[in-house]
Amino acid sequence: MIRIDNLTKCFGPAKILNGIHASINKGECIAIIGPSGAGKSVFLRSMALLEKPDSGTILINGKDITAKDTDINKVREKMGLVAQGFNLFSHLNVMNNITLAPIQVRKQTKAQAEAHAMELLALVGLEEKAYAMPSELSGGQQQRIAIARCLAMDPDIILFDEPTSALDPVMTREVLSIIRKLSGRGITLVIVTHEMDFARETADRVFYLDEGTVYEEGKPADLFKNPVREKTRAFVKTLETLRFTITSKSYDLVAMNARIDWFCRLHGLDSRHNYRIQLAVEELIQEIFLHCFNAINPDLDLTVEHFSVNNEIVLIFKYRWELFNPFDQQAGHQDNLGMTLVTGMARSFDFEYSDGINKLIIKL
Amino acid sequence: MLNEPEIIPMDFLEKIASSFYNNLIAGDAYLVVMKGMLTTVMLSLLALLFGTILGAVFCGTRLSGRKFLEVPVRIITTMLLGSPVTLLLMLLYYVVFANSRTDALIIAILAFTLHTGAHVSEIMRSALGVLSRREWEASRMLGFSELAAFRHITLPQAWKIAKPVYQNTIVNLIQWTSVVGYVTITDLTRTLNNVGSRTGDPFFALFFGILIYMGLSWMVHGLFSIRGKRGVA
Repeated sequence: MIRIDNLTKCFGPAKILNGIHASINKGECIAIIGPSGAGKSVFLRSMALLEKPDSGTILINGKDITAKDTDINKVREKMGLVAQGFNLFSHLNVMNNITLAPIQVRKQTKAQAEAHAMELLALVGLEEKAYAMPSELSGGQQQRIAIARCLAMDPDIILFDEPTSALDPVMTREVLSIIRKLSGRGITLVIVTHEMDFARETADRVFYLDEGTVYEEGKPADLFKNPVREKTRAFVKTLETLRFTITSKSYDLVAMNARIDWFCRLHGLDSRHNYRIQLAVEELIQEIFLHCFNAINPDLDLTVEHFSVNNEIVLIFKYRWELFNPFDQQAGHQDNLGMTLVTGMARSFDFEYSDGINKLIIKL
Repeated sequence: MLNEPEIIPMDFLEKIASSFYNNLIAGDAYLVVMKGMLTTVMLSLLALLFGTILGAVFCGTRLSGRKFLEVPVRIITTMLLGSPVTLLLMLLYYVVFANSRTDALIIAILAFTLHTGAHVSEIMRSALGVLSRREWEASRMLGFSELAAFRHITLPQAWKIAKPVYQNTIVNLIQWTSVVGYVTITDLTRTLNNVGSRTGDPFFALFFGILIYMGLSWMVHGLFSIRGKRGVA
């Protein structure tokens, strides 16, 4: 239903889109992923002609919307956009936000539009906020209203431009659960996202954008597990390892645990693994390393890797200090409860020391 | 302290009553004052109407992004904003239209239209400047045409921001029209001044004038707050 051929777009000397080809079927859910600056958003916005492409064609149901005689307003009636910043109409309450376009553009009666709006509010779980002002809502709620506003026009296509990038993890889940509900309802969904687990679980196909093109596309299982091309591999690789650097005693422990949690969910690790990783990392850092580094600022680098072949998790601690292996008998930490726990959990330990850098490898 | 103290001496009250009578009642003076007020109100209303339209035109040109239109408009508005409206009025009356038989009132309307136009243009520009481009985009994505998006999204929001400043501009405009006596127009101020010279008791006439101007200002504020309460954008 959507066919894009040779789409290009430059901003000044920077060639953002460099001949994009893509085709999207009716009712499909497409996730667009890729590094920052790859042109994901520009690509999405071009589909709505919010960015005017320099060349190329965009066929929607066989009609080229880049042609001069296209009534873009008519096209957009059937194509919604949910943006990163929600962009609710700040002077209107939730109900009027949703009903404004159906009444003004589609000439529905007020009663008709409001009845439909209440159904949509029920769908996004915000019936009780029907008469609240946008400023009274949380980001997640605003984004769900923005989705309802989009749905009020009964669109065939909805474009999502990083719909959860401005939201915290809880609100992200709220919004993603709504988008999940929409997939498989016959609406074509195109989502630019950094939520890899969402792309993996919900998308029918994933487009990996790089070098201004759809560098690689495929079913999520294939693209994430067996990427064919070089840059896709490198990108997927960065998703496989989690890195965390600690340079201060008052490092953000909560953020670190949250990232471990995110990493585990991304890799489909169960809560037992999740707990073990968090426990091992926290015990070692809090109880051993920060104690030993008492006088100096820590310089510690943590890497977490997951190998799905044998479901092995590898924790690598690199720290710049004098030779120090906490698991060595002479270090005298055997009686520490945290150490006992970690020792019990680990499959194996490795330790290296060179050029003032300690490298401790723990396999769980 | 057996007797109650006289708070207001009787002869003072009598003096006020007679002053009131002499200034405003005798010889149907109040009719003359009313006529002067009508001139002031009409002049203000017309200047406001045309000034707002002109302001919109100025603002539109400034935002059009066309340099050859933008630059002259910027020069004109800067000059208008930077000079007293009295001088502009006198310039038009004694120089530009000196040899034509144009009615003084029309010249005054022109002067105040230019003056108000420059101010309104600035008000509009600053109001539009703070609006979110993204909400506009969101409305376009819902299928609104440019015009409809302007009407339903931009205008109501811009109005909300511009309203208090616009209101002050109107009050200022009404007060500034008090200088039209310079060019032979018998407005409210001129009328009251005439009454004062006739009775030889200018204090009362002029003080009464202040009260009328205050009343007009309050009316402007009142009108705006009624609209605000009804939520009309």
